Amino acid sequence: MPAAAVRGRSLEAQERRFALWLLAPALAALLLTTTVPLVYLAWNSLHRLDLSMPWLSGFAGLDNYAKMGSDPRFWNSLWLTFVYTVSTVTLQVIVGLSLALLVLQIPKGQGLLRVAAILPIVLAPVVVGLFWRTLVLAPDVGLVDLVTRSLGLGSHNWLGDPQLALISVIAIHTWQWTPFAFLVLLATLATLPPDVYEAARLDRASAWQRFVHITLPLIRPAVVMVVILRMMTALSAFAAIFAATGGGPGSATEILNLYAYRTSFTELNLGYGASLAMVLLAITLGISYLMFRLRRVRR
Amino acid sequence: MNGRRAVRRIALAAVAGVGLAVWAFPVLWGLLTSFKTERDVLAYPPVWIFKPTLDNYREVLFGASSIVPNLWSSLVVSTCATRLTMLIAVPAAYALGRLRYPAKRTSGFYVLATQMLPPVGLIIPYYLALQRLGALDTYSGLIVIYLTFSLPFAIWLMVSYFEDVPLEMEEAALLDRAGRLRALWHVILPQVRGGIAVTTIFVFLNAWNEFMFAVVLGGNRVRPVTVAMFNFISVEQTQWARLAAGAMLAMAPVILIGIFAQRHIVKGLTVGAVKGGGRR
Repeated sequence: MPAAAVRGRSLEAQERRFALWLLAPALAALLLTTTVPLVYLAWNSLHRLDLSMPWLSGFAGLDNYAKMGSDPRFWNSLWLTFVYTVSTVTLQVIVGLSLALLVLQIPKGQGLLRVAAILPIVLAPVVVGLFWRTLVLAPDVGLVDLVTRSLGLGSHNWLGDPQLALISVIAIHTWQWTPFAFLVLLATLATLPPDVYEAARLDRASAWQRFVHITLPLIRPAVVMVVILRMMTALSAFAAIFAATGGGPGSATEILNLYAYRTSFTELNLGYGASLAMVLLAITLGISYLMFRLRRVRR
Repeated sequence: MNGRRAVRRIALAAVAGVGLAVWAFPVLWGLLTSFKTERDVLAYPPVWIFKPTLDNYREVLFGASSIVPNLWSSLVVSTCATRLTMLIAVPAAYALGRLRYPAKRTSGFYVLATQMLPPVGLIIPYYLALQRLGALDTYSGLIVIYLTFSLPFAIWLMVSYFEDVPLEMEEAALLDRAGRLRALWHVILPQVRGGIAVTTIFVFLNAWNEFMFAVVLGGNRVRPVTVAMFNFISVEQTQWARLAAGAMLAMAPVILIGIFAQRHIVKGLTVGAVKGGGRR
């Protein structure tokens, strides 16, 4: 065997060894902090584990999952999760994209807008929830009521009325995360080659045609990515809703994530809570799998 | 033609102005409220001109329910979690982005998948495990657990920065028989300094703002400022001016980072979104 090949192979082995050393801490940490707890979660979901009635704890097989079928609160939370995720993600993408398209044409002042857009993103969701609950949505003295009252639309109990409460938490989420879609899409739009547009303009393509046939296909990967990431955030939305309504009134804003939390840590029924979390996990992984496939196929 | 262009300009500016107002106003309103007396807060119509008071700040800093210990808690948890995360994530990202080794795709996919896990699914096992270990309400417990969301995020963000380093730099360093570790330290890492800054900022922000893990796994000793704010409103339902002052102090670090590291943040958001990592 030639010496160079031997050296080449030993270099390869050396690289492999080096990679392993660099990766080992991260993989060990992830295994310990995500995979092991997940297995433990699955195990717990097969148990009756009620801290308020510890003497009844024990293996229960699939009882927790069977219980969901006849649990109206579970189906309600599933429906709310659907409504919440679809509406917030749609709103974020539409508002964010429209605003980005408009702002792109503004010659000056983009920087100021960028700072304003960053504010909601960097705030803690729990503080956002508290802010909206008090200063923005409180009846009579909140900002929104000030506007509706001066417009003659009257005062409303934005977080106390079940239907308004759902709209309110959707609005809060949309307010906080639309800047993400806006900033990402603005940055993506800014990288598009201008000469394509020139050609289209010479062909007398209308603004709408240019958008549908040129802009949209070019930014599709970014849009899909924004949708995926925003869906993940919406599915695991917690602190803002928890602070604004606590899932209420009743269970009017109790998305699956909150239901799993309340079952586990308010009602202390950890076994059932674990099975609810497993369902959320399955939904999240299912959706991300689908979206990533979609992304690959389309490209 | 000129008239139409002017109208268009004004319309565009108006839209941008509304966007600006909607995002910035609640924060500015909170800032304003923090200098009001409780009576002025509840005044209708709202008072725009009032005698500003520092009482709210004095109260949340030095009063009976001071948030200074909570700010300290947040600082300890966030800085430790950030350091630990970066220490583990940067080498792993280098391997994932640059080195050849078996099962590379699988390990990359594994990191990505861990990022998709809903936190509520992890918190139940953590609660049970920490309870058994007697590690509820300890800094080390919370810091280690923050790795669940910060580590996958940091690794993916850093991978995209490592991928942009020109290959020649590495080869040149290796030909010098510098040894791989030294090449990484002296040649590659300086190239991704910007990426390290961006990632550090994001990891810190996420840790500072975290609430769910903190509220369940913390306690009287370890109570980050997010939890303190939440407790504040459950106890002092109507003290909104004080709440606003507390919130302003609690969010001051992240707001300042947001304003001064604007470019970094936008870059991090886009890199993450384009490459497929990054949750926020």
